[in-house]
Amino acid sequence: MILFEEVSKIYGDNQIALNKVDFHLKQGEMAFLTGHSGSGKSTLLKLVSLMERPTTGRIVLNGNDISHIKGDDIPYLRRHIGMIFQDHRLLMNRTVLDNVGLPLLIEGYSSFEIRRRSLAALDKVGLTGKEHSFPINLSGGEQQRVGIARAIINQPPLLLADEPTGNLDPKLSLEILSLFESLNQFGMSVLIATHDLGLIAKMRYRTLTLREGDMINDGLLRERNE
Amino acid sequence: MGAKRKLSGSPKINKVSFLARVKASLSQHVHQLSSSFFELWKTPFATLMTILVLGIALSLPTVFHVVYKNVERVSGQWDSASEVSLFLKKDISEERVQVLINKLGLYKDIETVTYISRHQALEEFKEMSGFSKALNYLDENPLPAVLVVVPVKGAMNTAGSKLLVAKLEREQDIDLVRVDIDWIEKLQAIFYLVVDVVIGIATLLLLSVLLIVSNTIRLNILNQRAEIEVLKLVGATNSFIQLPYLYIGAWYGFLGGVIAWLFSFVLVIWLESGVMNLTGLYQANFELISLSFDGTIILLVTSALLGLIASFISVKQYLVTIEPK
Repeated sequence: MILFEEVSKIYGDNQIALNKVDFHLKQGEMAFLTGHSGSGKSTLLKLVSLMERPTTGRIVLNGNDISHIKGDDIPYLRRHIGMIFQDHRLLMNRTVLDNVGLPLLIEGYSSFEIRRRSLAALDKVGLTGKEHSFPINLSGGEQQRVGIARAIINQPPLLLADEPTGNLDPKLSLEILSLFESLNQFGMSVLIATHDLGLIAKMRYRTLTLREGDMINDGLLRERNE
Repeated sequence: MGAKRKLSGSPKINKVSFLARVKASLSQHVHQLSSSFFELWKTPFATLMTILVLGIALSLPTVFHVVYKNVERVSGQWDSASEVSLFLKKDISEERVQVLINKLGLYKDIETVTYISRHQALEEFKEMSGFSKALNYLDENPLPAVLVVVPVKGAMNTAGSKLLVAKLEREQDIDLVRVDIDWIEKLQAIFYLVVDVVIGIATLLLLSVLLIVSNTIRLNILNQRAEIEVLKLVGATNSFIQLPYLYIGAWYGFLGGVIAWLFSFVLVIWLESGVMNLTGLYQANFELISLSFDGTIILLVTSALLGLIASFISVKQYLVTIEPK
């Protein structure tokens, strides 16, 4: 699903964000990406979602080398990646239903199909009955669920989550992660960036650990390390 | 873990059929057309101000056009009233006059020839001048016989009249050819100068429409930067994102055009009674015309197109630079 081969990202002021990182996330695999602030977690996710381009190295997504992909192809590639953000990135002037259906609207689905699938996605994340609410009137956890519903509505093969539990209490965090697990059960590859090591330890999935741009660990994270 | 359902692998797979895509695209356009109109009125005061400014900028070229059309009609009437007076030599016999009249009747660019004999000319002069008693003391009639020639419609313009005059001047029995086209020429020269100035001003005003709409759309794009970033993150292409902005630009232009039409219409109504009074004093029958149906359609389409072009420029300049962070 995602293959990184000696991928480096160096910003303009010679700041090394990622240093020759190698890893392979297989289709249907779920993994955590962790590290302190500035370790390169966000940069790695940005490279996968094509918000950034690698300075050197090769990134293969779904069998396609995306290291030098043309700008015009980026939107079509992003339609096959579900993205979840800590700050939710919802459109506050649109209803929950409109937010969730956005990827389908972009892909040209009929309004009937958009509505049908949006309601199904909202049901999946436990937000039935909130479709006509505006995100501003929802709690942080509910907004995060709207973001998740939007990310999964077109059944992308890959789900990227950047600190999805960052603003949530422990109980809600576990609920959200359970949701990711259930999506993974349906064959969706999931990569979750988080610095919540306690949560990672509880879930016991493969964990990629970054420190100052270097991949220092790739495997199960043991609680005693922390 | 249970059995995993396989999902699509290639990022290029189109899940929607071509027909469904076309249908959805059409409905998307219809939806954007109406939603962009309502989007405008979310900020009614700012929208109204922008539309009024556009309306004023567009109304000046429109009013100029209406004035031009009316002046063209008036000058056309003056032009068509032109007659050519041929003063014949004093010693010409009546037989020669008849021969000349017959000859002129064969000219393709002459409609009618009216003969005013020396005697008729004197009688008319006596009647009009009020010097009948004084004129009786003259030994001889000082006035020549005159042929009044009305050119055909095609020869009534300045160029046609000049050509006819040149031909008539070659006739031996004609002493003097007189056509009153000098003042028409001068008036036309002034008219064309004014038209050139008006075209210059109108071009500047249309350019200002482009700038106003372009700047308004630019501000819209910058205000909605976060929304645009989200749209790009979930896979929207630039053409998808730019659609509402293009429609908003077209709406601005179109509504500005409507205001311009209203201004020109009100102006014609306002001036109508004054013009009627003036033409009544000259015993002429002239009615002001407002913008024709074709002219109205051209105005609305042109202004909508201007708005569209302006927003397209802005979208191309700013939208592509916004990338999700």
